[in-house]
Amino acid sequence: MASLNIENVEKSFDQTHILKGINMDIRDGEFIILVGPSGCGKSTLMNCIAGLEDVTSGSISIANQDITSVLPKNRDIAMVFQSYALYPNMNVRKNISFGLEIRKLPKDVIANEVDRVAKLLQIEHLLDRKPGQLSGGQRQRVAMGRALARQPKIYLFDEPLSNLDAKLRVEMRTEIKKLHQRLGTTIVYVTHDQIEAMTLADRIAVMKDGHIQQFGSPQEVYDNPANRFVAGFMGSPSMNFIEVLVVQKQDRACIELAIDGITHYLPTPDQEQRVRQMVGQTVILGIRPEQITHVIPHYDDNPGIARVDATVEVIEPTGADTLVLVRMNGQEVNCRVDPYEARQPGQVMTLMLNMGKAVFFDVDSGERI
Amino acid sequence: MTEHNQRRYSDISGRAILYALLGIMALYYLLPLALMIVTSFRSMDEIRMGQLIDWPTQLSLDAWRIAWDQAQIGARSEKGLRPYFINSLLMTLPAVAISTMIGAINGYVLSFWRFKGSNLFFGLLLFGCFIPFQAILLPHATVLGKMGISGSIVGLVFTHVIYGVAFTTLFFRNYYVTIPGELVKAAQLDGAGFWRIFFRIMLPLSTPILTVCVIWQFTQVWNDFLFGVTFSDPSSQPITVGLNNLVNSSTGERRYNVDMAGAIIAALPTLLVYVIAGKYFVRGLTAGSVKG
Amino acid sequence: MSQTLTSSSQAVRTPAPARSPADRIAQWIPKLVLSPTLVIVVVFFYGFIFWTGLLSFTNSRMLPSYGLVGWDNYVRLFNNERWLVALGNLGIYAFLFIVICLVLGLLLAILLDQKIRAEGALRTIYLYPMALSFIVTGTVWKWMLNPQVGLEQFVQSLGWESFQFDWLVNPDFSIYTVVIAAVWQSSGFVMALFLAGLRGVDDSIIKAAQIDGASRFTIYTRIIIPSLRPVFFSAFIMLAHIAIKSFDLALALTGGGPGISSDLPAIFMYQLSFTRNQMGIGAASAMIMLLTVIAILVPYLYSELRVKKHD
Repeated sequence: MASLNIENVEKSFDQTHILKGINMDIRDGEFIILVGPSGCGKSTLMNCIAGLEDVTSGSISIANQDITSVLPKNRDIAMVFQSYALYPNMNVRKNISFGLEIRKLPKDVIANEVDRVAKLLQIEHLLDRKPGQLSGGQRQRVAMGRALARQPKIYLFDEPLSNLDAKLRVEMRTEIKKLHQRLGTTIVYVTHDQIEAMTLADRIAVMKDGHIQQFGSPQEVYDNPANRFVAGFMGSPSMNFIEVLVVQKQDRACIELAIDGITHYLPTPDQEQRVRQMVGQTVILGIRPEQITHVIPHYDDNPGIARVDATVEVIEPTGADTLVLVRMNGQEVNCRVDPYEARQPGQVMTLMLNMGKAVFFDVDSGERI
Repeated sequence: MTEHNQRRYSDISGRAILYALLGIMALYYLLPLALMIVTSFRSMDEIRMGQLIDWPTQLSLDAWRIAWDQAQIGARSEKGLRPYFINSLLMTLPAVAISTMIGAINGYVLSFWRFKGSNLFFGLLLFGCFIPFQAILLPHATVLGKMGISGSIVGLVFTHVIYGVAFTTLFFRNYYVTIPGELVKAAQLDGAGFWRIFFRIMLPLSTPILTVCVIWQFTQVWNDFLFGVTFSDPSSQPITVGLNNLVNSSTGERRYNVDMAGAIIAALPTLLVYVIAGKYFVRGLTAGSVKG
Repeated sequence: MSQTLTSSSQAVRTPAPARSPADRIAQWIPKLVLSPTLVIVVVFFYGFIFWTGLLSFTNSRMLPSYGLVGWDNYVRLFNNERWLVALGNLGIYAFLFIVICLVLGLLLAILLDQKIRAEGALRTIYLYPMALSFIVTGTVWKWMLNPQVGLEQFVQSLGWESFQFDWLVNPDFSIYTVVIAAVWQSSGFVMALFLAGLRGVDDSIIKAAQIDGASRFTIYTRIIIPSLRPVFFSAFIMLAHIAIKSFDLALALTGGGPGISSDLPAIFMYQLSFTRNQMGIGAASAMIMLLTVIAILVPYLYSELRVKKHD
């Protein structure tokens, strides 16, 4: 277990810049998640941390020791791969002990270590099988066991759950979380599944185009996205983005929202200061579906709550909630309402907007206002 | 007759025609081999009297004996095809082993340890599969002479290794690229180096392609004639050259039974390999052609 | 942007340890391991091709010599009647060999693809000649096609006295016997290629066509065979390559004869270089053979690469 510091790391292949100056300070025992669309550089960053690829510039340190040019085998890092990368010709026991044998540990130490890990992951009964005889979930456990056996300073997980079916994925997610709580290890975990990111991380780093867009706690990233990309990437269904005009109404900065031919002027209580400077300009209003609900009477007094009537276009029941599609300023907007309050398509429904949770972005740059 | 019945009858006659066609084709391919075998067991007297296609009245092993170690081939003191056969073995076994090993390591590097220019290198190598050997024959003869191994079995082994490496590398490279690179990364993090990963992880996974490659190389080297006739002297000539000399050199009456016995002797090792491991042979042919 | 740049990075940090010498060597191993093959490729492939090209412009006879004579060897080559015959023969032989192998191979593959019993055995039978040396093939067919003792005599003895099949000794037809033997040896291989291709055709496409009411014949001619285009291509390349290199088969079967009637460039090259002491002309003929291969290969590789880019 150790801290991990990444300073100004850049990586390019020929003319292509994959990483364009990455800075991260990861504390001892932190669970860090890297998310981002494919091609954003998250896997490359992972390989650079592991030493499987050299960085073009910048430095990486583990436990305050610079390891930028140290070979992977000497970095004391373990990695769990998407494909599990179990050695097909070795049984589970061999898979787990391979790294220990190479490091020339005494036989009895290796045997103890294998037993410990097998018990921890409940794979004792699989030790003599070959990877080909295991199910996906079992392979996943073995891959983790191989990483755990060496008790390295840092663990890297490269989309470890993406090859599992949905149910197993949720189970393993919980299990990884428990494991982290129990062992308190430093983990860097790559995923493209934002639910995994939200549930597991101490801090999330959202990456795009070789940059870290935002690095913060899950709730921070969710509630206060740094820019439109982060806002759209985290959350499912995604945040609604509506182009709106900012106007001055009775001394307050409001946004103009046309729904079914009626223009509403909605105040922006929490962000009055910032939005006021934008009067007369168009901005992007970002509002999550769960902030547009059916009418909940006792919320009425909260500042920033507004009621609007809208014609329902499409409904998508999900069981717990029903997603209702309406149109505001001519743009499609998802609302998350109680299944029993939802109206049928074509009918008019009264919705409640919580503008207190709304965020605003610049039209051109996508940056937060 | 109902429509249903009509369809059934046309189906049955269609199948009959199908099987007949396939059977005739099978005969076409089998006939030469069958004639070869039958003729090799007939005595010369029978052949003189009889027919091309005829059962031997009595099984005679004379032709085999003559072909194996009695026939005078060219001006050699040793008689028969036996010395040629031994030459071929001495040439083929090391050539196959060495070129397969080099191919395996090359394929391993080109799949998992790529570096700048390694793809270009592979492209250049790939073209090597297509070079008509006539275009390198003259310089190669000169170089073998300079190295002092022209006309020797060592020289032939050397030649077959050099011009076999393109194909063996292709085989292994195309096999290894289907193995996830994460396996090598995992082993690196486990502390394994270049050779340990190769011998402990990759080689144990390579049995299928190893078989394909060995069979392909064995067939290629054993059946080669061009290098054999160009780069050998009488003491190192392989079986293909021996057979050709046997057929063309004997003066006087043509002894077809001896020719056929000789042909079978020359073909036996590769035929045997084909019968035992035909599946891998076909896989090698298709792999070598589709990609190469 | 709210990138977190905490100040813990100011903590004292141990500098990077230098890589040990062993580690540094380890980094070079892959390149080191590949270097013998690099030498092979550079020297024995491309270097030798260049060398042969050089020889083709010299007055080399029995041994290489380096008096440059310009295009002389090429001029003499194309004024040499035997070379022109060999080239013409190669044209006839390659064309017939490729076309017959493709047709026969495709036909056999389609027939075998009808859920045939004993398919494995039949496949084995069709393909075994590929395991034989061309010298063996030549020896067998030389005897079977010999009019005095082979097929002709056999058919005549069955009672068809006027039956004639003397192509082997007939200068007008001897090249066709090479085609017969070569087809016998290689068509099974083309069959294997096509069969693999047929098995690779997406089943759902065929089912979709059946639902659309297409007959089996239509499915083959309109859907399956067109989808085998890449197989046609690679089979064509392989066959063309075999044809241009053909040396041992013709030598064992006809020896290029009668006369020079079944001569091929590969035989011509060998004999001029090694038995007639005309190395310069031999080298020139080798270069022409190489250029022919390149002329076939380059458009193929080009189209292959273009298709890959589209994907």
